[in-house]
Amino acid sequence: MTPIVLTMTWVAFLLGMAWYIAVLDGLWAAAREGRQPRAPLANPLYRCATILRQQSNLTEAPDLLNWRLAPALYAGLAGTGVALVPFSSTNVLADLEVGIVWWGAVEALTVVVVFLHGWSANSQFGLIGAYRYVAIGLPVMLISMFVLIAAALPAESLAVPKIIESQRELWNVIRQPLGLPLFLLLGLSLSFRGPFNYADSADIAGGTAAEVSGAPRLVWEFARLAMLTAVATVAASVFLGGYLGPWLPGPVWLVLKTAAVLLVLVGLSHQLARISPSRMMTLIWTVLLPLSFLHLVWAGVLAL
Amino acid sequence: MNVTDITFWIFAAIAVVSGWRVFCTDSMVRASFLLMLSFIAVGLIMVLLNAPYLGIATVFMMAVEMMVMALFMVMYMMNPAGLNPMMMVHQHRFSIAAGVFLFAALAGLIIVTRFASNPVAPGTEVVAGLGKELLGDSMLIFETAGVTLLATMVASVILSSRSGRFGAADTGSVPPPLEPGGEPAGRQPEQGGGHAHHHH
Repeated sequence: MTPIVLTMTWVAFLLGMAWYIAVLDGLWAAAREGRQPRAPLANPLYRCATILRQQSNLTEAPDLLNWRLAPALYAGLAGTGVALVPFSSTNVLADLEVGIVWWGAVEALTVVVVFLHGWSANSQFGLIGAYRYVAIGLPVMLISMFVLIAAALPAESLAVPKIIESQRELWNVIRQPLGLPLFLLLGLSLSFRGPFNYADSADIAGGTAAEVSGAPRLVWEFARLAMLTAVATVAASVFLGGYLGPWLPGPVWLVLKTAAVLLVLVGLSHQLARISPSRMMTLIWTVLLPLSFLHLVWAGVLAL
Repeated sequence: MNVTDITFWIFAAIAVVSGWRVFCTDSMVRASFLLMLSFIAVGLIMVLLNAPYLGIATVFMMAVEMMVMALFMVMYMMNPAGLNPMMMVHQHRFSIAAGVFLFAALAGLIIVTRFASNPVAPGTEVVAGLGKELLGDSMLIFETAGVTLLATMVASVILSSRSGRFGAADTGSVPPPLEPGGEPAGRQPEQGGGHAHHHH
């Protein structure tokens, strides 16, 4: 693929996957409530149109620069995450030698951007969502870093393409079984869905997005879907062999695996209940983080 | 000037301007994230200098660090949410003089120093080399510094969180008396807690 075709594939992938998640969300919600879904395929597009027809809300004395920039930065971070992942052995948009470290930077900057989105609106609910998100988002990020370092061990490289090539014999999901489940938690946390929705949940009237409407709202909701796509794409590449697979061409395998991971993520976000932030903190620091240490030791011993 | 030079000057300008704005803003949260922006620009300059791991690790570390710093400043400074305007600098004259002096001294050093010209051959595995250095010969220094910093952070949180506004945190908060040596102000909870009833 030429760079232009590659860039267009990247844009189409982000938009297509965001639409796919929105359709899945609609179907899942309808099934849970026991009603017939209405126009499930077109519904996300209707929602886009509805949001765009609203005017952009303004609060009293917001930090307008940060407030308007946060949704765009969030979407941009998700985009750079997807760009790290190769569509096939020769087609990768950002062939970084230290791809995994950049993904870590994406996670860390996401926490900053979500915090700024809630903080800069100058509204109570946004602020509560922002603080809650930082408290939960930072330790979940630590878990994912240990998991990713473990995945880089057998490849002896921090580059995503090399990690994929190291899985020709055996996928990391079998070699390091705890990795994928722990990484999926990060997906729920980075896009604050279901059990990890501490930023934008209904109990604080929408949290960091409580005061946001119109075009900024559309960008924000798209960015959440794009970030979930980025997590699923990275998970499919780091744990499920990415573009590797028999019969079909590489990009098709990547899309299929990403779609499968997204199905699991959407299912988890609809089926699992959220617990109070303080209990979640205890769970993360006393159970999940030690588990990720064990996982890293396991992967290290195996790679020796 | 090629593309790399232009990119360098853009990042350098971002680093200097946002570093300067840190001292002009009136909010702890804004100051933290302006400092983060300055460090991110420096990290990207390191990527341009062919140090990809160090550069991107700087971006990653600074994002986490400034987020935590903003939160801790708001927690310990009793400034609700960091949105209330407050003066972010102290000892104006002394700090301006010290800043100008230090900048002139360091810039002068750059001019008089003769830097070694020791270019690395293209294709050198710099990331692997850095890893071997950090976890090989430099491991003792690296680990000592890391553990010392961690111990310092834990100790400073323990020390600063014990003494609260109304007394030590582990004895429960008691408001100060209205007159010196008197009873604590406000309503007193009865034994067993719960609903407080006043008996006169």
